[in-house]
Amino acid sequence: MVVAKINVSASSSLKPETWKFSDLLADPAVRARWEKVRRYFYLRESTYDMSNRCNLRCDGCYYYEGDKQFAAENRDPDAWRALMRGERARGITYAVLAGAEPALAPDLLRACFAEMPLGCIATNGATFIPGDIGYKIHISVWGNDRTSEKLRGARNLLSRQLANYENDPRAVFIYTFTHGNCQEARETVEAIAARGGRVSFNVFSPTVGYEGPLRHTPESLREVRSAMLELLQEFPQHVLYSKYNAVAHTSPQGLHELFACPYPRVNPSTDIGLGRSFRQYRTDLTWDRDSACCVPDTDCRECRHYAAGSAIVTSRLVRHAKDPDAFKAWLDYVDIYLATWVIGYEKGDNLQPQIVFPPGRKAGGNGRE
Amino acid sequence: MNLEAIQTKVAEVIISELKLEGVTPDTFDRELDLIDELGIDSMDMATIVLILQDEFGISINEDDYPGLSNIRLIAEYIRARKEKGAGTS
Repeated sequence: MVVAKINVSASSSLKPETWKFSDLLADPAVRARWEKVRRYFYLRESTYDMSNRCNLRCDGCYYYEGDKQFAAENRDPDAWRALMRGERARGITYAVLAGAEPALAPDLLRACFAEMPLGCIATNGATFIPGDIGYKIHISVWGNDRTSEKLRGARNLLSRQLANYENDPRAVFIYTFTHGNCQEARETVEAIAARGGRVSFNVFSPTVGYEGPLRHTPESLREVRSAMLELLQEFPQHVLYSKYNAVAHTSPQGLHELFACPYPRVNPSTDIGLGRSFRQYRTDLTWDRDSACCVPDTDCRECRHYAAGSAIVTSRLVRHAKDPDAFKAWLDYVDIYLATWVIGYEKGDNLQPQIVFPPGRKAGGNGRE
Repeated sequence: MNLEAIQTKVAEVIISELKLEGVTPDTFDRELDLIDELGIDSMDMATIVLILQDEFGISINEDDYPGLSNIRLIAEYIRARKEKGAGTS
């Protein structure tokens, strides 16, 4: 290997054969961001279904697919406290509390928070989660009120979500782009911004065998990317996203093909990382390695889910530490991941103003990446 | 650079990057399992790999990480890569 000795203040367009990591860190802004995000490298997640009940029924729901929906509920807070103590003992430092609707089990959320101080709750936002539960709260938004009623059977859902979580520092609204709701994104983001809220983006990722109308096409992915980039530009104080997020989640290839997903469901290695430590617990407190990932029953070939990316892309540090452009894009992604998932973490300005493609990919003449 | 010198340098990098206390490059147990006993995770490993690549002018494949579970094994890997010139891209 020929290690190039190039002043990092020079543009990466100089194309040295290989960049040293120390060269990448020679840029003070990059160094500062690296030092900021690396303090959180100790985060190790697992996910937990809190209930088998939900107050909505949404088209394309992850929970009501596969076997996990049939698990019996364990409603004993002491059992959940014991589980979290055990999780801490095996090195887990971050709890993602999800299906079916965690807001219906506040005592269990409280029990988890007492034992595991960092975490996030994925909720539909229709029911307020008491303020003493100090986790991040991700509120799923699938469009305007008309679309929410159509897809989720809930009236005035966005209005209720906004009312429940106005000025709540725990809250991040997660707008899921489906095949049919791209045109509603602007009005929805405007409504969230008008109430002082913050929003990040998800891309609908079908469960195995899903054949419904929400599934993306190459055309809809291109449309989604354009919408994401426009909203990012127009609402920088309210949209937690970067250009690299937009590219990574709207590429023709899914996250697994782009970055090699490390979750146990597709990663047989138990040596280090998520393949070793990650578990996805059902509401009866059992787990199964063969189905362990952050969005079980998703079709891995088409997974572009924001939660999956938060682990998959962030874990690929070495692949992105190849040149200044890729490394800045990765730092933006990690910064947004932390701002979205960690209470008290404040996002900085994005470092990478350009469109950067994932390692090994580039825009082709036919639009393929 | 002989194996002991490489081991000492690797220990120095790990101590520095993980901010370990109560251990020096000379006293760091070369057989200590970094994952099972020290508790390092994939992001720690990635960071250490990047520093070692800089230090020794080699590249370390992602697929090889699981085999780099203690300082002796890392040092032997680095020595082998340097001898083969495997870092040359």
